[in-house]
Order: sequence, then C-alpha cells, then structure tokens
Amino acid sequence: MLGRALAFLSVACVVCAGTYFGTQHFIVKQAPIKVMSTIQSQMAKTAGGWNRCYHNQNYGPRANTVRRANPDSIVSAMAYDLRDGPVRVSGEVWPRYWSLSLYQQNSDNFFVVNDRQINGTRFDYILAIKGQDVSQLDGEVIMSPTPKGILLVRRFAANIEDMPGIIANQQAMTCAPIQG
Amino acid sequence: MAKAKTLKTLTDETFIFKSFEQVDAIWLFSDVVGAPAASDLVRARVAINGPLALSSQETVYFVAVHDDQGEPLLSHCTYRVTGGSIDTRWWSLTLYDRQTQNYVPNSQNRSSWNSVSIPYDENGDWTVTVSPTPQTDPWLPSQDTPEQPFDLMLRVYNPSEATRSILPNIDLPDIERLSC
Repeated sequence: MLGRALAFLSVACVVCAGTYFGTQHFIVKQAPIKVMSTIQSQMAKTAGGWNRCYHNQNYGPRANTVRRANPDSIVSAMAYDLRDGPVRVSGEVWPRYWSLSLYQQNSDNFFVVNDRQINGTRFDYILAIKGQDVSQLDGEVIMSPTPKGILLVRRFAANIEDMPGIIANQQAMTCAPIQG
Repeated sequence: MAKAKTLKTLTDETFIFKSFEQVDAIWLFSDVVGAPAASDLVRARVAINGPLALSSQETVYFVAVHDDQGEPLLSHCTYRVTGGSIDTRWWSLTLYDRQTQNYVPNSQNRSSWNSVSIPYDENGDWTVTVSPTPQTDPWLPSQDTPEQPFDLMLRVYNPSEATRSILPNIDLPDIERLSC
C-alpha cells in the first residue's frame, strides 16, 4: 500500500515539475515573439501599414517609445511581412554614422551593416524569404529567417542642428513591396 | 505559479542585467545582447526590457548600476562621471530609470551625452555631472525622487579592431558620488 502511494506521489511530482518547467520554457520562448508582435503592430499603425517606413523626425528623448531607446539615434522603422512577396528598401547613407539592421521574429538581430561597409553612398536591399524568386531583381538580396520582422535604420545626430540633413536623408529613403 | 514566477524573472529590474559580466566595480558588460548566441532567457529579458538591440558585430553594451564604491546609483544623489575617449565610431552615455527602463523627464529634455556632443578638456578627457539639480558642467539630469535607482548605459558603436580586441577591458568611465 505504502509502495503504491509512494509511486503515485513520485509520478505526481514528475508531472508537476514537468508542467512547471514546461510553462516556464514556453513563456521564455514566446516572450520575444510577443514583444516583437506588439512593436510591429505599433510601427505598422504609425507608418500606415506593414512594409512601409516610419521616420522619427524629432530630436531628443521621447516618451512612449520602446524601452531603453537611444535618443542620439534618429530611426526609420519598418514592420515587414514578406508572405506576399519581397520588399525593397533603398536610399542614401548618413555620413556621421548610419546603420541598417534587421530583426527576425524571435528578436535576434540577424543582419546589420553600417555606412562604411556600403560600397558608395547608396544602398538598395531586397528583403525576401526562402522560396521566393528574386533572380530577376536588381539589388542586394537579404533572406529573412522569418516572414515577419523589423527593419531599423539608425542615423546618429550630435545635436539638433543635424536634423534638417537627417530629415532630407529620410525623405530620400523608400520602403515598399516589389510589385508583380 | 510558474507563469507568475517566470514573468517576474523576466521583468523585475533586479534581474535584467543578471547575465551581464562584471568588468570592474562599476561596469557590467554583455556581447550577446541581440545576438543569436544569446540564451532563451537572455533573449527574453532583452526583448522585454530593451528590445531591438544591435548585435556585438556592430555595438557592445556596458551598464552601471553602482558607483565606484559599490553603492547603488540613486536619483537624489549627485555623481561625477569622468572618462576619456574611446576608440570607436560613436559612443553614448544614457541615463534610464531602473523601474520604467525609460528616460527621466527633465527640463533640458536630455538623457544622454555622446562622443561628439561632449566637451573634452585639453587632455581629451570629459566630465558629466549626474544630478537632479542644474549643474554648470555638462549635466545629465536625474529625478529628484529619494531612493529612486537609475542606471547609466554606455553604448560603444562600431568599435575599432584595437578596441574590440581588448573588450571588455577598455578604459571605462569612473562614477564618483559627490553628495546625497
């Protein structure tokens, strides 16, 4: 009788521990995806849709941005969804310091390039996913590990006097799905 | 219970930098922020508390939550932060409230100094005073809330090969408490 009770207790302990650690594992795995989805929704809303860029044109710290943002970095941001086809992002680099980074849906920064790594001053990237035919497209192809993700362009401002140049640089940038 | 406990370990400000490496009495360091090499737990913490970080390929992150005596950085105290130049494309020092993980609202709308905006002395060194009250030195405003902890984040963007080769043992700023 005692043996059966102990056996039952052991099984119950294993089930409890499994549930506990399983829940923990699930939350830890899902948290970055949930955060990315929340940010993407906000970005898409601000930009007027997915696969469109939003340009911050304000200098200095702002309330209600993502946590631990850097106010030196004036960003253009795009929430992308490549399921309906590739997206093209092109423009000019910002000479003081510029970087373009891409984040997959688990929040990993899977691609980054800065202005000194670009050949010349213009960039022209095509974001695509595996299985899409990009062989006829001009531009450097970047394969996103996940259909959805986030693109960030950071332009660094020393002070507010940099802003007119940064805004002109933003206006020369295009982000749009590739038609047909 | 597992859900509540896991969420606490992901969101509680005392856990955020737990995976960072202690460099000296003041500074913590991480080169896995934003990187695929990050563990699930680190990825989840970063996503929640400071999403869209750049991988160490482009940027490395240092954080100070203590002064040079090992005491927590508190908003109502005044600190002298001194440093020299860092061989990198850009660096910035940003103050965040530890609870909100965000900027501290202030009359100057300033939450950071960077490698271009900071005034250097004849030796190439710089000084910033962190205080809730206006200062004549370059001033980084904290909030006048007793016992409210803050942290200073030093971002080192696109470090030179020489800097990268000795990370994290670069010449980091000193943080000295002047008064409380």
